[in-house]
Amino acid sequence: MKLSGIGIRRLLQVSSALAILGLLIEILSLVWFHPLSFVLFAFVAAGLIGLGILVYLVSLVLVAPPSGDTGR
Amino acid sequence: MIEILICQIAISILLASIFLIRPSLTSATGWKIVAFIGLCVLPVLCIVGGMNTHVQRSETTRFCTSCHVMVPFGQSLSIDDANHIPAQHFQNHRVPSDMACYSCHADYTIYGPLSDKLRGLKRIYLQYITTPPAAVDIRIPGGFKNAQCLHCHAGARSFEENPVHSAIMDSLKSNQVSCLGSGCHDTAHDIANLDHRKFWKPVQ
Repeated sequence: MKLSGIGIRRLLQVSSALAILGLLIEILSLVWFHPLSFVLFAFVAAGLIGLGILVYLVSLVLVAPPSGDTGR
Repeated sequence: MIEILICQIAISILLASIFLIRPSLTSATGWKIVAFIGLCVLPVLCIVGGMNTHVQRSETTRFCTSCHVMVPFGQSLSIDDANHIPAQHFQNHRVPSDMACYSCHADYTIYGPLSDKLRGLKRIYLQYITTPPAAVDIRIPGGFKNAQCLHCHAGARSFEENPVHSAIMDSLKSNQVSCLGSGCHDTAHDIANLDHRKFWKPVQ
């Protein structure tokens, strides 16, 4: 399965947006000294960052050529 | 350390912003590598660093007493009474004062820190989702284990050579006789009587 260039760029933008949002929430959780800050980090920030990484990795898989095409 | 982590997060945000605005840059090989670092390697490091920072922070006395229901337990560390076990440990630095709660209430087993964190999440659930118990009603599930005392005291000369301790050492190690509940060291976190207690104030 291959995506068009535009589709992959869209995935990269989604991945970047999720990572940025997660990282901003991580900063908030680090400066906020409260029992809920850990929950905010573990369930919201890490979740968004992880999802961003996953979307990026999916974009890599979708853009990779089939194994039979490599080196030819 | 937190400053380094925040710098790392800022670099990650900067790199991710570049690919948010100009995703077409990744068609060049050099930018593909930058994208891999900015959207995969650095965010993973940020999660690991964040988790490490939060876990270390959750072990501090300040963190434990930031929860409303734990405030009287924090106050009880300043009770001016040599028989009050938590207070004399805290005031005489027998435990690190910045990690006083964790030093005695950590589960010193292989998966102990993980079970401590899960128990902490359960307490957050009790605090915010259900009705939390009153501070005086809070009890440690299964009681306070001797292993938490013996983690430091076992092997110490003053502890081992005490005739009372040596006579019941096996029972102490097997938790058959409780250090706290057997009439020996039975005053711990006397929060029900905080109003009648005298408090120690450290010299500034």
